[in-house]
Amino acid sequence: MHEGSITLHIAADVREIERLNRLVRQFGELHDVPSRTLYSVNLALDELVTNVILYGYEEGSEKEIAVKLETTKDGLVASVADEAKPFNPLNVAAPDLKAPLEERQLGGLGIHLVRSLMDHVSYKREKGKNVLTIRKRIK
Amino acid sequence: MQIKEEKQGDVMIVTIDDHLDTAAAPAFEQRLLGLIDGGERKVLIDCGPLEYVNSAGLKVFLLAAKKLEPVGGQFIICSLAPSVLMIFEMIGFTRIMKIAPNREDALRAFGVTAAT
Repeated sequence: MHEGSITLHIAADVREIERLNRLVRQFGELHDVPSRTLYSVNLALDELVTNVILYGYEEGSEKEIAVKLETTKDGLVASVADEAKPFNPLNVAAPDLKAPLEERQLGGLGIHLVRSLMDHVSYKREKGKNVLTIRKRIK
Repeated sequence: MQIKEEKQGDVMIVTIDDHLDTAAAPAFEQRLLGLIDGGERKVLIDCGPLEYVNSAGLKVFLLAAKKLEPVGGQFIICSLAPSVLMIFEMIGFTRIMKIAPNREDALRAFGVTAAT
């Protein structure tokens, strides 16, 4: 894996997620990121950015989401920064995975996937922005 | 997103595309729930081409399963790629949904013998 980083500016539109996924995959190929690691980070970024676009920003918002992706000595680290009102998705209750079908809730699946796929997830409110940082080690 | 529908016996087989993401999920939801509203009770989703699914797409499977259960329907998902199966396991869907390795096994589970 080669050292490098990329910063992407994503508009508040669900169609942007396809572009995000494409750029993340290109970054991964260029930097020889193992495909399983890339798959997980790509999906985690998709979930975080989707959440901001659908629930953080108003429809048609001019605000952007800044996604930074970086290789480290032992894996990948990425951050997602948005200008929506303060919201820590890590406070969302985990879905009850043992609940029977009729009691399974639709919410919380995305952030649960992020937590399950990543080795480390953290949130901070910084300079008026929500910043989620995710890390994935290469095993 | 390309969604293919075909009927085998009384089983409605829906084959989905390679990407089921936030942009594609609403069309899939509308088609799938529409089929159930239209009276389909045995629904098989063939995920053979599916390489990538996010929570927006996963919710559609959950909605369909929740809708079919109280009306005595059967819902089976088949041919999941390993990376997609891992996601299904991660969110506990393998506990609440029937997953078949391939279409033949799924049809057998519905009680339909493969056409010769």
